[in-house]
Amino acid sequence: MLILGPSGCGKSTLANCINGLVPFSYPGEIQGSCKIAGTETSSSSIFNLSAVVGTVLQDSDAQFVGLSVGGDIAYALENDNMPREEMLPRVLNSATLVGMHEFLEHVPYNLSGGQKQRVSLAGIMHDHVKVLLFDEPLAALDPQMGNQAIDLIDQIQKNNNCTVVIIEHRLEDVLYRPVDRIILLEDGQIVADMTPNELLCSNIIVEKGIREPLYLQALKMAGCNVTIEDNPCNVFDINLDKYKDQLVSFYTSVDTSKPVEEKEVVLEVKNVDFSYDKKKALDDVSFSVNKADKIAVVGKNGAGKSTAAKLICGILRPDKGKVLLEGVDYLKYSIKELGQKIGYVMQNPNQMLVKDIIRDEVSLGLVLNGKSEEEIERNIEEALKKCDIWPMRNWPISVVSYGQKKRVTIASILAMNPEIILLDEPTAGQDYRVYTEIMSFLETLNRNYGITILFITHDMHLAIEYTDRAIVFADGKCIGDDSVFKILSNNDIIEQANLKQTSLYSLATRIGLNPEDFIESFIVAERRKRHEKS
Amino acid sequence: MKNLNIINLTKGETFLHQLSGTTKVRLFAVLMVYVTMSFDLPIILPLFIVTIVGLVSLKPSWKVIKPVVIFVVAMNIVNIVLFWLANPHCGFEYTGDKTVLFAFTDYLVVTKGTFWYLTVRLLKMLTSFTTSLVFIMSITPSELAAGLTSLGLPYKLGSIVELAFRYIPDISRDYENISISMQCRGLELDAKKIKPIERLKQMIIILIPLIVTSFDRVGNISNAMDLRGFGKGKQRSYYSEYPERRNDTIFKVIYCLIALFCVYYIVSGLISPRDPKMWIYWS
Repeated sequence: MLILGPSGCGKSTLANCINGLVPFSYPGEIQGSCKIAGTETSSSSIFNLSAVVGTVLQDSDAQFVGLSVGGDIAYALENDNMPREEMLPRVLNSATLVGMHEFLEHVPYNLSGGQKQRVSLAGIMHDHVKVLLFDEPLAALDPQMGNQAIDLIDQIQKNNNCTVVIIEHRLEDVLYRPVDRIILLEDGQIVADMTPNELLCSNIIVEKGIREPLYLQALKMAGCNVTIEDNPCNVFDINLDKYKDQLVSFYTSVDTSKPVEEKEVVLEVKNVDFSYDKKKALDDVSFSVNKADKIAVVGKNGAGKSTAAKLICGILRPDKGKVLLEGVDYLKYSIKELGQKIGYVMQNPNQMLVKDIIRDEVSLGLVLNGKSEEEIERNIEEALKKCDIWPMRNWPISVVSYGQKKRVTIASILAMNPEIILLDEPTAGQDYRVYTEIMSFLETLNRNYGITILFITHDMHLAIEYTDRAIVFADGKCIGDDSVFKILSNNDIIEQANLKQTSLYSLATRIGLNPEDFIESFIVAERRKRHEKS
Repeated sequence: MKNLNIINLTKGETFLHQLSGTTKVRLFAVLMVYVTMSFDLPIILPLFIVTIVGLVSLKPSWKVIKPVVIFVVAMNIVNIVLFWLANPHCGFEYTGDKTVLFAFTDYLVVTKGTFWYLTVRLLKMLTSFTTSLVFIMSITPSELAAGLTSLGLPYKLGSIVELAFRYIPDISRDYENISISMQCRGLELDAKKIKPIERLKQMIIILIPLIVTSFDRVGNISNAMDLRGFGKGKQRSYYSEYPERRNDTIFKVIYCLIALFCVYYIVSGLISPRDPKMWIYWS
């Protein structure tokens, strides 16, 4: 079963009611009844409930409480005071179920997000568990690991015959494997409780701010009216016979020709090598960035994305090769000077915000750089207005929403008038509504003020919808640098970079169109539609 | 990252590493009593030699422990010198010897008795240091937690220690990230360019977001622990705590004997106070 809904709709609270954190860790007022395996939760205890309901939390780092893989899997057994001899075979057994049995001695720091999640899953797979509860299992995973996670959940559900409840807002990714029922929440109320097919054919998901699967978006754009009988919950199973002609005629009619623009190069990375100690992190990397580009930097964790970002910001300097900023070798700039030309926005705004009041935060960079009073005033006014938070300038930061905090961090970078803004996972962990808010805001910045933007991301939707070019990293090498639709139809690159074929690709292959052209037509048509709206 | 400087997160291969956490903690507790209870060279010197052998047997990375050793030895020497400056005759009480070996001024003299006393004192300090070092380097945080529980302390105490070690690397990674972003915004952390006090102020700016993000994490950690039944019973077992093996039994006999000796030594000292004079002057 899938529980779906935007942030703040009550999904997590509902989950906490099931696993017993409500009412035992978060006391409050409860009305009505909640029964798990026949027992009323309020008359049970969190310990009794945790024996029946196993929960995998969203933050795979924080929930890894053991000092080794084996220790973490054994954690619940330790608390049960189980003798060690009994514990060992059980730990091995659980670890084997999730494919982590060769890592028992490993410490958490070297594991990937996906591996940590597997360990968490193994840690709750003990004896009496009847319900497995996953809180946003896809949040921290790259696309391919996400698929593997959903696959694993599906397998375990089948083999152990237990109930699985997944809380997510990434509908398409969860539907990679069959789901029996979807419950849609909004403002703490259930607004839909139906099968995936029913839900996908209704208009509810679009109304409630959930992202529609891409292939359905493509079908609807071509004017196809998909019905339940077509089995639309998976791109491989959907019945396309009726819609084939409609799709082909629509997408061959989209005019994809673009005016050729002359662009000036602002940043050029030339044959750069970089190593940490003896480990090579970047190997002969070259690419260039033009003024007013929107570029996605993609690749799996540890592929060199973050190293490349640190290198561009000047935190790290190349061992070999050159970085040219507006034609000048950037070695002559200090980090501080570079910070005024290339702005770096971190993934988590809480890691950037140091002041209490919004305007103080935005002026901090200018104050630290010793700018004059007038210049500071002028720049922050401009930045705050660009980010649409000028009326809120005297508000304390603690009261604003996540999306607004993100704006504050971006404003504090913009105030320094950088040529380029580098954003690390700007939408990580955000639902579709906040995602759309952040991304359309960045798009406006780019379009209206000609600001060059680089996104470090593994969200392929983001790349498709909002960027023109993708630079792909794998094992420290730059393995692709091309328009998004070309990258997404290149199987080699997708595999090497742990990306995932979008459902558009599968749709195109199924109706016999060239995926590259099809994805391009879709992107063009989709953007035109979005611009008409805004 | 396998190890945090001198602290091991995973069990090592050598003889001492392989002992159980309970053995290590109990042995350490007994030895600390042993080294504190007297100024007798025949008691301190053998332990010093044994711990040096123990240290070598752990096959430590000398590069890592060198700064620690240099720091502690230097501090202890400073301590001894200060002792001497405060009272150049401080050894008289223990040795009854005032023979002057060397005189700087009338006040600052080196007597045979004081020299002897301070040398023994230094050795005693160093022995407690080497004992601690061997203990710290041979134990993992999980074993420490198990060992503390075996001493009868509440297991929640051990768990706090364990959790602290678990999250130190995460927090230091956060710190690094925050410091990078602040440097890009113009915060100067380069020691060569600014005064130490300024630098301290700048570091505090980084601490604010670090604390905020760490608090976010604490909530998640405590939920994760609750959901896996932490605090369910009075007792808790340990995955990383091996059952007693042959070597542990041998060590059990050893630390029991040492403990008995300590009791005898202290009690007999209470009944008939020992001559405070030191060993070499006994004869």
